[in-house]
Amino acid sequence: MANRILSIITLFGLFAASSLAAQEELPKNLNAEKIKGMSFIPYSSFSGSPYLSEKFLIGEIEFLDGTKAGNLGLRYSSYRDEIIYYNTYLSSQIVIDKISIKGFSFTDGNGVRRVFRRQNYTGYLNGERFFEVLSDGKISLLAYRKVDLGTCDPSYSKLGLAYQQSYTYYMYAAGKGYSPLSLNRNSLLSKFDKPNQKLAKKVLRKNKVMFTDEASFVLAWNVLKENGISISF
Amino acid sequence: MKRRIITGLLLFFALTGKAQEREYFNLFTDRDLYISGETLLLKVFAPSDEQSGIVSVDLINTNGKIISGISKKIIDHQTDGFIDLPDSLSSGCYLLCTSTKTNPTLTVKEIYISNQFSGLPESNFALRSSETNSVAEKPAALQIDGLDTTYKTRGKANLTLRLPSELLSQINENLFVSVAEIAPGYNPNTFYRIAKPKKNQIIEKEGVILEGFVKDIKTGEPFKNGIVFLSIPDTIPRFKYYITGEDGHFNFQLDNYFGKIPVVVQGFDPDEKRLLKVVLNNRDSLKSGIPAFETWTISPEFRKSTMDNIDAVTFSKIFNCQELTIAPIPVNKTDDYPFYGVPTEVIDPQLFIELPNFTEISRELLPGVKFRAYNRIPSLQVFSPALHNFFNDQPLLLLDGIPIRDLNVIKDLGSKEIDRIEVCHSKRFYGNLVFYGVVAIYTSKPDYNRVAESDDLIKLNLNVIQPNVTLNVPLEQRLNEMDLRKVLLWKPSLKPEQNINLDFETSDIRGNYKLIIHGKTKDGSTFYKEQIFEVN
Repeated sequence: MANRILSIITLFGLFAASSLAAQEELPKNLNAEKIKGMSFIPYSSFSGSPYLSEKFLIGEIEFLDGTKAGNLGLRYSSYRDEIIYYNTYLSSQIVIDKISIKGFSFTDGNGVRRVFRRQNYTGYLNGERFFEVLSDGKISLLAYRKVDLGTCDPSYSKLGLAYQQSYTYYMYAAGKGYSPLSLNRNSLLSKFDKPNQKLAKKVLRKNKVMFTDEASFVLAWNVLKENGISISF
Repeated sequence: MKRRIITGLLLFFALTGKAQEREYFNLFTDRDLYISGETLLLKVFAPSDEQSGIVSVDLINTNGKIISGISKKIIDHQTDGFIDLPDSLSSGCYLLCTSTKTNPTLTVKEIYISNQFSGLPESNFALRSSETNSVAEKPAALQIDGLDTTYKTRGKANLTLRLPSELLSQINENLFVSVAEIAPGYNPNTFYRIAKPKKNQIIEKEGVILEGFVKDIKTGEPFKNGIVFLSIPDTIPRFKYYITGEDGHFNFQLDNYFGKIPVVVQGFDPDEKRLLKVVLNNRDSLKSGIPAFETWTISPEFRKSTMDNIDAVTFSKIFNCQELTIAPIPVNKTDDYPFYGVPTEVIDPQLFIELPNFTEISRELLPGVKFRAYNRIPSLQVFSPALHNFFNDQPLLLLDGIPIRDLNVIKDLGSKEIDRIEVCHSKRFYGNLVFYGVVAIYTSKPDYNRVAESDDLIKLNLNVIQPNVTLNVPLEQRLNEMDLRKVLLWKPSLKPEQNINLDFETSDIRGNYKLIIHGKTKDGSTFYKEQIFEVN
């Protein structure tokens, strides 16, 4: 009798589990179907790289409605300021329509997540640009990873042309716009009021922050932000 | 040992069974008796664990046939809407069924609709539901102050709902308050049913889902790897596609579309070897079959009330009284360019000399677009600046936003019929689809009749999410007009407060009216409070 009850209960449990399973949502990345773009036409070959990364890196894009499509092979073209996506189904490189997305992100070779946001640049050569968000907040620290095709020494490139980095850094706040920055201590400190400058210097000294490269500049920015030293912007 | 295991298991199932006890949809209507041609107002409280974001309410006859229905977005576990009752409905009992795609429980409310021309049946007998699983509601201990027992026609009523703090702390969402005429001698049933949901149902989160399948016309078998297009013609046309699997099934999530939208669904074999038939799934809201009915005798009071109502409806039709105001449909401005991309060029043929057909238009006005008919077989090609040549493949051709594969449809289009032509010269991608250039033609009178329906192409006007409505309140200026409202107050979503002041004006219709308040507590149960008054 006890065995029968046991088997009935087990059966009941199995039925309950199967009925719950029937209600589960079908797994499908429908968002990838929203990607709109045009065929990528390879750039002319010169010295230097027109891309931020030579390989396609796994990342995600965010559409205007806030939905995301992930697990995509992405490569940012610094030369044309466009994001290229590799469609495995079609074996094609596609330039995603800039106006169709809010931004994109990917993890680089060092395991660092790089986030890019599309924003309207209001300064010289205004228009929609992809900015890398180095530090986000009310006031963001942004980098415009531009690569220009410029003339160079023939010893460097036989054709006398090369892709050359021309990165620019900005402080950005919604409603206030952009303020350019250079990657050095004085440029950063100049963004603070006189009384705050002293405090900022003290905090940087205390945290032993040296301005040597982009990473240390971002570190300094974040240290000052964490210490609540407000920028006059 | 066995006994212990069994007791333990029994205890476990008893406890989990209690924990998984299902809440039901609570469905309320403004009235119980309607005349065909009227508008029915409804309110739904959804279960707190409801996964679906969309609820469907269908009007069903006693044979189980869906007469009409709406889909509404569930916000804060509740929603409200309206159903226009067709003029042609015959007199009798009808059911309103509340369901979602995945919830196995349905809540069904019975209503009576009398035809406005034939009235009630001579036999004096009618059907009514005999289901026993009635949805329970508890009376609430809230107080109604200031509501008199009688009012004159066009009298003003001011009242206050006093909610005790104990009840206030238990209320989960907003309250629903209405004042409407009651039908004497008729107490319809609201009951729930359990129905087994279909397998692999997709949860409707932000919009309705259009489902169906494609089959091979020759073999009748579901077609694998068929491409199904869904187009929504508009000033900026919308487009979706689906590549079918083994079962030939497809579905489209129509997120954030409101009202009634024209939709074109077409399916085809990408290899163009087979002819396909597109079949859309029928809605089956009752799922578990038709409920049981019994006969009841129509009372003389009910008959009189119905006849009075018919007169009121006839007059309100003559005077064209608008009871509801439909809220403006939210506009989604996030996607403000066509799915085929920003066009390389836009041409208005009416700015140029009149040309009789599309061959001439392509020759004279569309550089880089070659539309020719060799041996009466038309062909279309787009020039690619990147290739410095024409694409070998046919471009995406759109007529008023609908993809066209038969070029004969456009060959006779002259300058007069075309409003504008948009051309994309690049190779475009949309998800996994490739377009070798795009030619989008927008006609002067986009009535979509040029696109003929066939086995592989279905045109329909789809009811998507119903927009919100508000009940019109008569203005002072309308004093010389007849006021034929049977619903005097309709507040479907009222914020619960300790004291809620309400006011309404009675209409020209005499009879018994009921003020009713419904709400839901945190434990999932619903409560009500009602008070009847007379207008003479």
